[in-house]
Amino acid sequence: MNIKIIIASVVIIAALVFGAISFVETNVEYTDFQTAISTHKKVQVKGALVTEKEQFFDESKTQFVFYLKDDSGKEEKVVYDGAKPNNFELAQAVVVKGRFQDGYFHASEILTKCPSKYEADAESVKKTL
Amino acid sequence: MLGTILVRVAFGMILLAAGSYFYSFRKRSHESLTVARYAYLGTVMLVLSYSALLMYFILTHQFQYTYIWNYSSTNLPTPLLISTFYAGQEGSFSLWTLYTTIIGIFLMQYTSRKGYETPVMFIWSLVLTFLLLMLIVKNPFAYIWDSFPKDLIHTGAIPPDVANFVWLDKAKNVWAQIPTEGKGLNPLLQNYWMVIHPQILFTGFSSMAVPYTFALAGLLQRDYNTWVKVAKPWTVFGSAVLGTGIILGGYWAYETLGWGGYWGWDPVENSSLIPWLVSVASIHTMMAQRRSGTFVRTNFVLSILCFIMVLYSTFLTRSGVLGETSVHSFVDAGMWAYWLLLGVIVLFGALGFGLLLRRMREMPRIPVEHSIYSREFALFLGAFAICFAAVFITIGTSSPIITNIIKGKAAAVDTAFYVKTTLPLGIAIALLAGIGQLLWWRTSHFRSILRSLALPAVASVVFTIGLVIVGVRDLPVVIFSFASAFALFVNILVGYRVFRGNPKYAGGAIAHIGIALLFLGFVSSAKYDDKQTVTLEQGKPTKILDDYTLTYLGNRALDEERYGFSVEVDHANAVYHVMPVMRYSTFTNGMMRHPDILNMFTKDFYITPLSVQSPDDQQGQSYSFKKEETQDINGMKVTFVDFDFNDVEKGKMVTGDAEVTIGVILAVNRDGAVDTVKPLFKRTASGPSYVPAKLPDGSTCTISRMQPNREDKSKSTVDISVTSPAGSNQTKTESLVVEASIKPYINLVWMGTVTLVVGFALTIARRVQEAREKD
Repeated sequence: MNIKIIIASVVIIAALVFGAISFVETNVEYTDFQTAISTHKKVQVKGALVTEKEQFFDESKTQFVFYLKDDSGKEEKVVYDGAKPNNFELAQAVVVKGRFQDGYFHASEILTKCPSKYEADAESVKKTL
Repeated sequence: MLGTILVRVAFGMILLAAGSYFYSFRKRSHESLTVARYAYLGTVMLVLSYSALLMYFILTHQFQYTYIWNYSSTNLPTPLLISTFYAGQEGSFSLWTLYTTIIGIFLMQYTSRKGYETPVMFIWSLVLTFLLLMLIVKNPFAYIWDSFPKDLIHTGAIPPDVANFVWLDKAKNVWAQIPTEGKGLNPLLQNYWMVIHPQILFTGFSSMAVPYTFALAGLLQRDYNTWVKVAKPWTVFGSAVLGTGIILGGYWAYETLGWGGYWGWDPVENSSLIPWLVSVASIHTMMAQRRSGTFVRTNFVLSILCFIMVLYSTFLTRSGVLGETSVHSFVDAGMWAYWLLLGVIVLFGALGFGLLLRRMREMPRIPVEHSIYSREFALFLGAFAICFAAVFITIGTSSPIITNIIKGKAAAVDTAFYVKTTLPLGIAIALLAGIGQLLWWRTSHFRSILRSLALPAVASVVFTIGLVIVGVRDLPVVIFSFASAFALFVNILVGYRVFRGNPKYAGGAIAHIGIALLFLGFVSSAKYDDKQTVTLEQGKPTKILDDYTLTYLGNRALDEERYGFSVEVDHANAVYHVMPVMRYSTFTNGMMRHPDILNMFTKDFYITPLSVQSPDDQQGQSYSFKKEETQDINGMKVTFVDFDFNDVEKGKMVTGDAEVTIGVILAVNRDGAVDTVKPLFKRTASGPSYVPAKLPDGSTCTISRMQPNREDKSKSTVDISVTSPAGSNQTKTESLVVEASIKPYINLVWMGTVTLVVGFALTIARRVQEAREKD
């Protein structure tokens, strides 16, 4: 019977270790551009859209290009594989997920964070009177 | 006011039911059993009238209630108006409560026949107590002026233009204005899926509490075996319903929301998958216990976990704890709801596992009689693998919480985590779903296994070799495909044999065929999904993805907000027509994209519009220059020479005077002829503006970004964008950017799902019959 328990525990431990390693590997850290530049790892950066600078859709590469200023004030060019996301201009903050390469932040995913629901509601309640 | 009172009375009533059931259970008292039953039925009546009242207020547009104002409006068609009942948190808890009370009526009848009524209904009433308490905290009958006192409560005379108001305190002249229109339903939810999907999902969620109540009843009564038989049809029912709900959600995302796939490992999706996996695992171990009395403790643990995971999932998606880390915006439910949700997890967990620990020693130790080559062992391993998948998915989904505790910063895992961890488990599950069906209870002869294994094994080897030839080369995926094919062939074989004998017993085999088809569908549609983003100029055929020629014909307005984009698809000598839709929603102030799908049996052609470029806003190509850098633009050598600050203007800049002009000097070499071009930046009283300059080939260049460096001029940089001249060969036509993809054999996913549900249905029918026969 002991051999069974040993085998079972080895399997469980191996699975847990495998899970833990995958967890650490695929964890996408929330950080700033500085870390993104120095590590070249896949990260998430939250920032504000730099509205004074250009933003355009590059048809030939089907990429959307814009500039983002992170919370520590560092500004970088972001190239996103896809079209301009929904609610882009209205977003209070933009979260980009990807890695830094070739002098710009190559984003594979963009999340736009909109004003908190309560603030938005207080505005819209006035409109529906 | 009435609604709020109804909830509170219902809460009191269910407490009475719980108390009386408990008393009746302890003292075997018949009087208190009668009280308990009436109290439960009273709760049912109260919850029904409460829900009817909410529905009535929704249908009559009573916008004095914040909830109704928040999610509905007068212009919604009736089915959607009805669905706003559960569009928000308050309402979905109401729906959950409603289904739980109704299921309780059937449960009461069923358990009273089986002699389980008092303990089961006691626990069931506790579950309802939690739900009703949640409704007291998240009350859908909250008044709008309590939600927005600053904007809506006024004192003094009522202006004549106020259409809708109510006196709060007439003596003090305090009144509140009431909106005449609601905010409306999020357009993403405005389709028929919204009408059916949440209903099914919440029926599943409600049923997931049944195995928990039976397990606790078993523990309370020191009945460690019979409860499994009684609980089994309910567990299968819950799994079948929740499974259907999950996959319908996937189809919704695929077909309407335009997520590009049916599964995105999103917390919302995961949170219903986790309890489903646990319940599926428990079906397997319950079956083993019914046959050979083993896995007594495992079944208690899994049945308790089913419900705990439902609660935990609710906590993850409803408490706002995932916050910033997901695409979904999780509404912060407020502090009360947060602690209440956390509290019930601890409470129901402690109740379940505490009781289990106390009874553990008394439980009969059943000596293991089955060999490794027995169906019991295969079932155990299968359940084990399924649970491990649930554990990994739970860990992944809880990542923001885990990282927040460890590192103080919330971070989500990449979806790669789920694929990586569940793939090996999927292989194990598929192999076991095959082998398990070939094994006998207790023990099997090694030789007879080999004999029955031969045919399906050979078939799946041939199948896999075929896949490798076609182009499947990724080793884990090859193994996964082999395992799934093996499960498929074994179950077809076994299912056929069983079906000839007695079709009623084929449920298991059919369900496993469904799972195998699903797995194969996952491989082909997700792993070999071919995707391309392309710009389609109006009227110009563009060939993509090898054999699809797309022609953008034009757009037309479908209604005030929606535009349809007509695209012709020419594939394999046939012409199809698709119309993906973009919708500019005034509700979210954003663009929504609805895909269109060509279903071609062996594959889906999936097309999502990304954006439209009209001729006047055609954006240029962007170039980034360092000082003295030369780049090739449309065949010209362009060098960034320097900035042109003229001294007078430097002075102005310092004094902050209104007008500033800065130039960028570009040297352009076109076939040997050198020109200097100077686009300008101007700041005037009306704001900054850019003056473009013409390049020798007729295109225009505009400054998009400048970074002059005063200290080290060589570090100055500039970005310019170059636009081809209007009217040149770059044409003035509109162009549509689409993302097109091919999902090979995605129909396997839907076929697998339907087969799985049929298998579940047969199993339920059989278990119900079995439970009846032995009365």
